[in-house]
Parts: sequence; C-alpha cells; structure tokens
Amino acid sequence: MRTDGPQHDFSGNLDAGALRARVLEHVDHAAGRRRGQMNRHLLGVVAAGLTVALSAGGCGKGSSSSDDSDGKSIKFVAAIYDEKAQPYWDALIKKFESKNSGYKVNLEMVDWTQMDAKVKTYVQTKQVPDVLNYNAFSDFARDGLVYKASEVVSPATLGDFTPTFVEQAKYNGEQYGIPFISSARLLFYNKPLFAKAGITGPPKTWNEVRANAEKIKKAGAIGYGLPLGPEEAQVEFYSWAMNNGGGWVDASGKWAINQKANVDTLAFLKDLNKSGLTQPNPESTDRKTVFNQFAQGRIGMSIGGPFTKAGFIEPVTKNLDFGVAPLPSRSGNEHNTPGVMDVLVAFKKAGGKNKDAIKKFLDFVYQKENTSKFLTTEGFLPVTRSAGDALSADPYMKQFVDALPASRFAPTSNPAWSAVAGAVKQDLGASVADDDPKKVLDKIQETAEKAG
Amino acid sequence: MRDLKTGRRRAATSQAPRPSLPRRAGRALTPLLWLGPSLALISVVVLWPVIEMVRTSLQDITSSGVTVGYRGAGNYRDLFDEDGLIPVVLRTLLWVGGIVAVTMALSLALGQLLNARFPGRRAVRWAVVVPWAASVLMTALIWKWMLDNYSGLVNRVLLDLHLIDEPVNWLAHPAEAMLWMMWVAVFVSLPFTSFVILAGLQTIPSEVYEAARVDGAGPLRTYVGITLPLLRPAILIASIINVINVFNSFPIIWAMTGGGPGHDTDTTTTFMYKMAFYDQNVGESGAMAVVNFVLILVMVLMYLRAARWREEVR
Repeated sequence: MRTDGPQHDFSGNLDAGALRARVLEHVDHAAGRRRGQMNRHLLGVVAAGLTVALSAGGCGKGSSSSDDSDGKSIKFVAAIYDEKAQPYWDALIKKFESKNSGYKVNLEMVDWTQMDAKVKTYVQTKQVPDVLNYNAFSDFARDGLVYKASEVVSPATLGDFTPTFVEQAKYNGEQYGIPFISSARLLFYNKPLFAKAGITGPPKTWNEVRANAEKIKKAGAIGYGLPLGPEEAQVEFYSWAMNNGGGWVDASGKWAINQKANVDTLAFLKDLNKSGLTQPNPESTDRKTVFNQFAQGRIGMSIGGPFTKAGFIEPVTKNLDFGVAPLPSRSGNEHNTPGVMDVLVAFKKAGGKNKDAIKKFLDFVYQKENTSKFLTTEGFLPVTRSAGDALSADPYMKQFVDALPASRFAPTSNPAWSAVAGAVKQDLGASVADDDPKKVLDKIQETAEKAG
Repeated sequence: MRDLKTGRRRAATSQAPRPSLPRRAGRALTPLLWLGPSLALISVVVLWPVIEMVRTSLQDITSSGVTVGYRGAGNYRDLFDEDGLIPVVLRTLLWVGGIVAVTMALSLALGQLLNARFPGRRAVRWAVVVPWAASVLMTALIWKWMLDNYSGLVNRVLLDLHLIDEPVNWLAHPAEAMLWMMWVAVFVSLPFTSFVILAGLQTIPSEVYEAARVDGAGPLRTYVGITLPLLRPAILIASIINVINVFNSFPIIWAMTGGGPGHDTDTTTTFMYKMAFYDQNVGESGAMAVVNFVLILVMVLMYLRAARWREEVR
C-alpha cells in the first residue's frame, strides 16, 4: 500500500501560521473598529491564502545533488526491502571503500512506495544515479539511458548469472539488466485449519481448491485469501492464469491478455468470491491484510513468496504451523510458479567516465559471500549459480529454490510492461467483484496495445 | 504682477537642475526594493511551477521519464478519451461541495460556541485546534484502522450497539468509503474554518447587538439579520480556501482507499497521480494537472461572482 505521495497540504496547514497570525492579530485589533478596516484585513488574508493554497497545487521537483565527475565517486540508489537493507549496504560499502582506496560510493536508500516517483524524477531532472536497484530496466534500455551489462561487470560475474534470469534481463537481444534478487510464489496453507476441516493434504487441482475452501468455511474460517487489490494484483492473477494455460502474451510474444484461458481464470476466482469462499472484497485487499489473517489462523490458503514467512507471518504468530505446496492448476498436471526478478542498472553518465568505478563496485557486490548474505538476510532467491547452494540448506527456502527452474516471468523485457502492470493493478480487481471479467481484460488489452 | 509671478515661477522651474539620470532611475526603482522579494517569491513559488506544469502537459514523455519532444494537444486528447474522466470530475465536484458545505455549517455552530463565554473556553478552543496540528496523513491512517473490516473500532462499536449484524468492510464499498473520507476531510477542515468564523464573530461590534436587543429582536432574528450578514467576509474567505484545499486534497484518499476499488473513489488529484505512476504517463498526468488548475480557478471565480465579493471586500 502506498501511504505517501506529493505532500499536498490539506486544511490549510501550509498557510496555517500566516493565517492564524493574521486572524489573531485581527481579533486583537478588531474590537471597536469600523468594518472597512476589517475588510481590508480580510482582503489581505484572502490574498495570502489564495497565493499559498494555489501554489500548493503545483508539483515540486525533488532535488538530489549531482556528483562530481572524477569517475571515482558513484551514487547508488538502493531499495528498502525492509529495515535490514540499509545496514547491509552500509557495511558492504565500507568494506568496498577500504579495499579500493580513492573510490567512493554514495548510498541513497529509497522506500519501494516512493521508488517509482523518485526514479521518474531522477530521469526527468537528468540527475540519475550511477547504479539503481529497481524492478524494471527495459524502458531505460529503449531510451538509451543505461549501459549494457557487459560494459559494467566483468565476464566472470556475467557468466555466473543463471541463464533463466539473463533471458529476462534482455532488451532487443542485449542484456541491460543485471539480475539482483529473485523470488517465486507457492501455496501457503494452515495445517491445523486443514486438520479441523478434515482435509488431508494441499490441493493439486482447482476443484480441490474450491472443495477445500468450502470445508474450511464450514469449519468457521475463510477458505482462500485472494489479494487482488492494487498492491500486487498482477502476480496473484498470473499465479492462477499460468496454471490454466493463460498468461500475458501469446507464443509470438504479442499481448494476449484477454485470451479465453485468462477470462476463465477470473471466472473461477469470481465464483470463489461470490460463493463466500474468499475474504470479503478481494478487489481492495492487499497481501499484508491477507497474511495477517492467515497468521491468525483465520484463512486456510493463500499464495505467498519466500519473504512471506519472515515478513508477514512471524511478526504476527511466531510458530504458526503452516505448509508450503506447489501452486494448484486447473488440470492438476502442471504446477508453474511465477518468477519475479529485481535488477541493478547502471546509468550512462559523464561520457562513460563512471564505468570503471561501477564495474569495480558491481563485481564486489556479486562476490559470492556478499550476495548470499543479502539473500539470507532479506529472504530472496539467488540469481547467480554460486549463491544458490547457500540457501538450499534452509528447508523452507529450498522449496522456493527448487521451484525456480520451472518459473515463468511476466514480460518485463517489454518496455510497455510497467504500464500494463499499472493498468492491471488498478482495474483487474473489479472483475471478481461486480465487473465482467471479459470486459475488464479487454480494456487492459487495449491499454497494452496502445503502450506498445 | 501676475505676469511677473508666473514668469518668475517659470524661470525657477527651468533653472532648477534636473535630477541626474542615475538618480531618476534609482527613484523609479525604489519601489522594486519593497516589491522585489514578494515578486520573486510569487514568480518562483507560483508562476514557475504553473509554467512548468503547462509545459509538461504539452510534452511527449516516455515511460522512463525522458522528454522526447512536444506533442501538442495529444496529451489532452488522450485525457479526454479516458472513460474514467467524467465520473472522476463529477465525484470531485461532489467531494468539494459536500465537504465545504458541511464544514461551513458545522464551523458556524462551533465558532458561535467558541465565542460564547463559559468556564473552560480556553480548553475547548485548544481542543478544536488539535486536529489542525496533527498530520493529515496520520489522521487518515488512524481512521483507516478504525474502519478496518477485521479489527476496526467502528465495526466493534456498531456491533456492540447492535446497529449492524456483521462487520462492514467500509472502505471497500465506494459509496460508504466516500462518505467516511468526506467525514475525515470535514474533521480536518473544521479547526481552520471555525477559527476564521470566530475571528469574524469577534469583529462584530457589541453596539449592534445592543441596538437589536433594544428594538426587540429575538435570537433567531438577531442571528439572521445581524450575525450572518456581518460574517459574510469571513465565510467567504473560509469557503474559498477550503474549496482549494479540499480540491487538491491527496493524503486522505490516498491513505484510506488509494482511489479504489478501480477508480471508484478517485478525485482528479489521485487520478492524476495514478496516471503518472501506474499508467507511466507523465504527459497526460500533466494535462490532468492543468485541467485541475483551471477547474479550481473557474470554481473560485464563479463562487466569488455569486457571492458578489467586490461589494463585500472593499
């Protein structure tokens, strides 16, 4: 959920001081004076108020200092995955700087809720960082803003990336994105609730999902937690659609969002909702709410990622007895999982003078012990071969690591994807509430075709 | 005699040395010294963003944020083709009208209360100021939690009072969500408004009331015949500033529903934000901002005209 945004002040907070001063002054002097004077005072207040209030409507541009161009200092903007991210980078940068004297990395941590706005501002004001930790890269590549991966990491590092992720990091056949972390989705289920409802194991088919949800409902809880609110509707929907033969594009790579398999998927989810087998109002629920209820034992099943345990469940209920299973499919014959990848990108700057420092820094970041430390602290999956083993030791994480090879990705290498994902976040949820699934998907398809 | 006088005077004027050019320029520029700071402030804080906004609305900006060139009225064409636009604009007008009307009505009553003499008046005045001091975002978040479907206070209270049989997911239903958010907006607008009304009330000379009492006017007649007309300037100011603030209000809607489900609780301000950061379309968002700006100006001008402000504030 986004809780921030442009700081438009409400209720006149901005002009509060000035106005209150005027008003109070006015109160003091007003007694016994004639109305003409009062009106002159008030005219001043009107003018001051209008000026401040109107200008509050304009949008401000963030400022960030542009760095020097000696080619040895670089700026790195990293995402705040959780509160452990900053200490990790601080320590890593300190180590890097002590090993490479003369080089300097200026770190800026940005929360995910502000990231999109920040990144757009960086680009528009031509104040891009040297290295950015983000979830999209292809429109930067299209607009010629970033280096190819081969220009900013050594061949050894480049060869260490798992091929699946390299494929996802390409634009027009060239790798621009530098895979950073990955994630997958599996079905989480509450074991005590399953036992109480008399269910023996996790569902493999959609029919079983529905049947289990009904049993759980009878046992007094919510069958399936369906977060289709704007937060991450695209991944929840894709988790279901891909297990019905659906997806975002057809075999030739053209947008196929309103294909029949997708419409049927939404019809199934809508039926779950309308039969009272999901939590109320999936169209406005985010993952946090669903897993909060899941952790309290009020939801039987929901789809989550490797970070769900440490991020959502444990803070609420320390020792919840839950299981993790492959995603169910309509047929029961396939169990695909959506893969999600975040990347680092290196921006072109100062006529290429920053390349050397970026390369030194990135090669350091991708050293095995550094990457695996980040993955284990944050609960993400590896993108390099060398860090893979480190996570397989944990039985919970191993299930996700094992699911990765069969994972399917959203078309992130298409620059139009961000706009499509945006449209899905805003509009898809309505299809399981009151809108017609086909019509909703038609509209998103239209948006996708318009965006490219 | 007369001729002599005028002749002398003429001579005097022609003989007096004309002030030197630098001095004349200096004299002409002196007012600028006083006007300068406010002119600079207005141009940097008001004019520049407005120009920048209009420029953005005419530009072709890619999804990553690079400006490719100008695309004329293209962004505006896209904007007016949006299915959501008309409902969003109508909802915004309802949002502004509803909040400002209710705020004004409640503030007139509150102002009257705060103006009355009673023990503990100071404490009550402070209590009214508190929502003003709290961050709007914080207030909105607190209300969001209070309205939560699973553990919200509002549902608990209504259930205990047997007014509802099962928890209501207030913020998921557009109509209910709008009403609750409008209530929060009224809540945070009250302090400012009631204090402007209070200030207005304190400027009404007591002699007028005395005269009314002598003439035998009752409380209602006094209020309608004296208080309200004399409060007009204060009401005018309070409502204009509220209209602008409520129109531009972002945090309440963003924190409580995010404009969802779909666009069902969006106002033009949140709609504009979603265009830039969900639809990745900064240019169209800029066009929406310009439309927003024009709408506010038109609304304020229409209001001022209807209220015939020139007669009042002169």
